[in-house]
Amino acid sequence: MTSQVHDFVLYFSKTFGALYLFSVFLIALVWTYWPTRRAMYEDAAHSPLGQEEISNETRN
Amino acid sequence: MFNSAWNFSATQMQAEGNMRDAALGCQVAILLLLFAFGVLIFGMADQGIFSLHGFLIALVAGFGALKLIDKLTDPDPIIPLEYKDDVIKFGVLACFLWGLIGFTIGDVLAWQLAIPSWNGDLSWSNFGRIRPIHTTAVIFGFGGNALIATSFYVVQRTSRARLASETLPWLVVGGYNLFVLLAVTGYPFGITQSKEYAEPEWYADLILLITWVAYLYLYLKTLARRAEPHIYVANWYYLGFIVVIAMLHVVNNLAIPISFSNPKSYPLFAGVQDAMTQWWYGHNAVGFLLTAGFLGMMYYFLPKASGRPIYSYRMSIMGFWGITFLYLWAGSHHLHYTALPDWVQYLGMTMSIILLVPSWGSVFNGLLTLNGAWDKVRTDPAIRFMMVAILFYGLATFEGSFLAIRPVNTLSHYTDWTVGHVHAGALGWVAFITFGAMYKMVPWIWKREGIYSLRLEAWHFWFALGGTLIYVGAMWNSGITQSLMWQPYEPSGAFTYAFIDTVDAMIPYYWMRAIGGLLYLIGALIGAYNIYMTVRGADLPAPDPRARPLPAE
Repeated sequence: MTSQVHDFVLYFSKTFGALYLFSVFLIALVWTYWPTRRAMYEDAAHSPLGQEEISNETRN
Repeated sequence: MFNSAWNFSATQMQAEGNMRDAALGCQVAILLLLFAFGVLIFGMADQGIFSLHGFLIALVAGFGALKLIDKLTDPDPIIPLEYKDDVIKFGVLACFLWGLIGFTIGDVLAWQLAIPSWNGDLSWSNFGRIRPIHTTAVIFGFGGNALIATSFYVVQRTSRARLASETLPWLVVGGYNLFVLLAVTGYPFGITQSKEYAEPEWYADLILLITWVAYLYLYLKTLARRAEPHIYVANWYYLGFIVVIAMLHVVNNLAIPISFSNPKSYPLFAGVQDAMTQWWYGHNAVGFLLTAGFLGMMYYFLPKASGRPIYSYRMSIMGFWGITFLYLWAGSHHLHYTALPDWVQYLGMTMSIILLVPSWGSVFNGLLTLNGAWDKVRTDPAIRFMMVAILFYGLATFEGSFLAIRPVNTLSHYTDWTVGHVHAGALGWVAFITFGAMYKMVPWIWKREGIYSLRLEAWHFWFALGGTLIYVGAMWNSGITQSLMWQPYEPSGAFTYAFIDTVDAMIPYYWMRAIGGLLYLIGALIGAYNIYMTVRGADLPAPDPRARPLPAE
């Protein structure tokens, strides 16, 4: 890899790449805090506290 | 893959059997290739230790291949209706073994710095050669095995599914520990590519690459089999760790070996590009191995141990995305005031400061999870380990953001302050959360009543906490003293202090560090004994079949 190519990749990743990831972050924020998903996440938070043993019913 | 233990039709069983044979065939092929690779090195190597490494690769790969070939000819096994914990047990034991090796060598190094004549004046025993043994043993041996073991535990429990393969988990832990063994036995003989935290040469890197791809495949396949609709957040952190480490490992180790007869290779990058690639790797190894992976551990074991759900589940998800978004840009703060373009340095500094937001989000989320269970911090040393780990995580992440500010970096860089910062994170966060999780997980997977001795667990905690505070305090003082002595000039332009004056001034701090490290090591020995006695202890009594509910009519 030449230094010019390296510098271009670096510049691209630190500019457009940063904007891309920031957009992903914003989408994740909206997705996560969307009011209709609240109940699902509250259920998920209790997941480690419940019965964890494996059974025939739990196998898909 | 599953047969009589599950309610499967004959067609499904046949299909599962064919898939199992195909998967085993692939694993055998890979192991045979590795065997040939090892034999090639063994036969061609021009130095003894490299030849021995070839032999080790051939031995481990050959043993694995023979075991798998044997399984290929066996009838389909009966998979028990339970989680696959045997491989986790191996990971736990490997974690403690590498931990004790790493802590011991770390303290030997600390004494060598306090008493330089203890270097022994031998090539293999000097600081430069055995320091990477310490870092590799603690980061990859202790930390890596802890992450692999706990991730296998968490993914099964939160998915309510057994690991997706009977053999692949063994290839993962076997290959991973082979990689660590090749690395640490090569350093004393000078086998290193001299990249901090990425010292292993190309042939060991190849072993890790294959292992890591297998780990990712296994983790994803187990998640795909889950009986739960939602992927619990700890799995996101573990997956982030697995995926990013794969990416970092490949890019930072792009190198051309000079031949099969010599371990030496040359990296594809040079100069400042090489430095930037290295610290992009180095800081993200901190971010995704030592942070994301262990946050995954925290987000499972803290709620489980305290009996409280995560304070804000949604904040834990945002913490994940925040860390993923920000960490990748922060590595350049390791290269302030170098030939790296200024804008890259400022970007790294800015991202490092913003990184404090998701980091402290996780800190508060962890601490507030204990609301309603604070009494357990007093009575349960494992929860105390986890609580203090979170405090150290908060301290280390604040300090990290602070040290990344360029003017602060002029004071701290190249001094022992950095060493203190790293150890606040490594001893206080990584090892404390690991010990807390292990003290809970070991009795669960070995089906014991509880840990062998709560009193010993508490002693371990206090030794570890005392050792960490002494170590980190000593390094803060020595680092700031070093910097203040390095910077002043006389009106003539000469330095006020000769470098040797600063070395002399460090001696009391280096003694304190060695003593702090010794306390930490004693604590770890107590912990290892406690774990050993727990493992040796009696099984939980089998449940009384009369106590089971009657089946529905």
